[in-house]
Amino acid sequence: MQTLPFVDPAVVFEGVSVNLAGVPILTQVNAQVPRGGCTAIVGPNGAGKTTLLLALLGQVGHEGMIRIPPGPDGRPPRLGYVPQRLALDRGLPMTVLEFMVMGSQRLPLWFGQRRRYQTQAVELLGMVRAEGLARRQVGALSGGEIQRVLLALALQQRPDLLILDEPAAGVDFHGEQIFCELLEGLRREHHFTQLIVSHDLATVTHHSTYVICLNRQVVAVGPPREVLTAETLTATFGLHMGLVASRALPETGPGCTASCCALKP
Amino acid sequence: MTDSGLFSLIVSLPGLSCLSAPFMQHALLGLLLLAPMTAVMGVQVVNFRMAFFSDAISHSAFAGVAMGLILSLNPHGAMLLFGVLVGVGIMAVQRGSSLASDTVIGVFFSAVVAFGLAVVSRDRSVARDLQPFLYGDILTIDRPSILYLALLLTVIMIFQGLGYNRMLYIGLNPLLASTHRVRVAVYQYLFAGLLSLVVIFAVWAVGVLLVTALLIVPAATARNLARSAGGMFWWALTVSLSSSVAGLILSAQDWTRTATGATIVLVACGWFAISLMMAAWRGRAER
Repeated sequence: MQTLPFVDPAVVFEGVSVNLAGVPILTQVNAQVPRGGCTAIVGPNGAGKTTLLLALLGQVGHEGMIRIPPGPDGRPPRLGYVPQRLALDRGLPMTVLEFMVMGSQRLPLWFGQRRRYQTQAVELLGMVRAEGLARRQVGALSGGEIQRVLLALALQQRPDLLILDEPAAGVDFHGEQIFCELLEGLRREHHFTQLIVSHDLATVTHHSTYVICLNRQVVAVGPPREVLTAETLTATFGLHMGLVASRALPETGPGCTASCCALKP
Repeated sequence: MTDSGLFSLIVSLPGLSCLSAPFMQHALLGLLLLAPMTAVMGVQVVNFRMAFFSDAISHSAFAGVAMGLILSLNPHGAMLLFGVLVGVGIMAVQRGSSLASDTVIGVFFSAVVAFGLAVVSRDRSVARDLQPFLYGDILTIDRPSILYLALLLTVIMIFQGLGYNRMLYIGLNPLLASTHRVRVAVYQYLFAGLLSLVVIFAVWAVGVLLVTALLIVPAATARNLARSAGGMFWWALTVSLSSSVAGLILSAQDWTRTATGATIVLVACGWFAISLMMAAWRGRAER
């Protein structure tokens, strides 16, 4: 399947190959992430999704090119990152408010928090519906709560590109629905490009507007309705995936097709 | 110092007459300068899980002295130089290698200890000179050393003042921090270099074997007692300073006559035991 060129892509992968200790992890990945919308990188475990993400974040050496072109205003793009259920150091005493202020305030936290940064932190927590968590200990939060707080921390960067690693991991179905609904609203309001890495097809079929199927190389790219067919899924995941019938998918509109988001205008 | 009315009052208190000796005053001053450094750097040593790193640096003191003897350099200068080289070296190999960090440190640790022992075994008389490094020797601290300590404290506090929050970020998740525009490599190298200096200075105070305790115990106690990242700093500082002063005075009493460094660490460990009990009590109250 050929890569459709976009006039104004948010990320371009050109012939990206990664070898770790002589073992090819990714071979000749060519793909583009369209600006705006939610692009999902899907593939089975060991397909190289995380490696591609690390290459994008500049943490893994690679051949080929990865470009994150500047936006219309020409300034260098800002990245926001929501890690996979952060292996948080639960013994570290730290309030959610401190966690947020840590990213914005230079004055060390032992001198307290400046009102300006505190207000900004509470605003950001409000954006992810976590204002009630401000005084709580980070180590005592549930998986879903941590995820929203991490999202707030990423939004503090005012990202042009928001990258989420396995956002569905460790969160129950209801929590995931809320989280996706939140992201959808934030994306509309703040016009960032969302890039998620997931092996969870249910999330991808419902919440993405563009899909890159990866299994060491690009298997297919395109809108979920076109890409998530039995043939490509078999090619990607290596076994028959009868669970997702593309014809059962709703018509792809410009936004998210989840039931939670469909209610929105 | 001895002329002030307050000071003569303090010295007249029971048990504190030991502080009238000038060498005790120097030791006190040295500890008051060293304790805040080990407290604040210790907080990050615990956050970064670098206890083993500080152990490797402290053990490089032997190799540093040995190196100084071979090249006929000032042993203190050689220790500092060698310590910083080892610290930055470990950080560089760690960042560039896929090996687990404790493995990398383990290799450096073995190398520096083996090198130190090899040199010492060649010349038996050197073994005697190494005694103070094992147990520490804060009571013989001289004026230039106090001056260096004051200088290092200034540098450390400036570094912490600018970087404390960023280093919390890195401690939580380095990849997250670097994606969010924190200059992770710069902070890691600066931290490794400065920590090596603090560790080597602390070797003179409490000896090779107890340096890590001086970093870890106040920070671990602070984790048990604090409810915030800001509070953690103040608790570590309180534990570190109070243990240093109490340890120095206790070690000088007629009925103890123990090594100062060991006594300081014992007092700090007492603090830790109390903090454990308080954490358990608070945990039960919250349940």
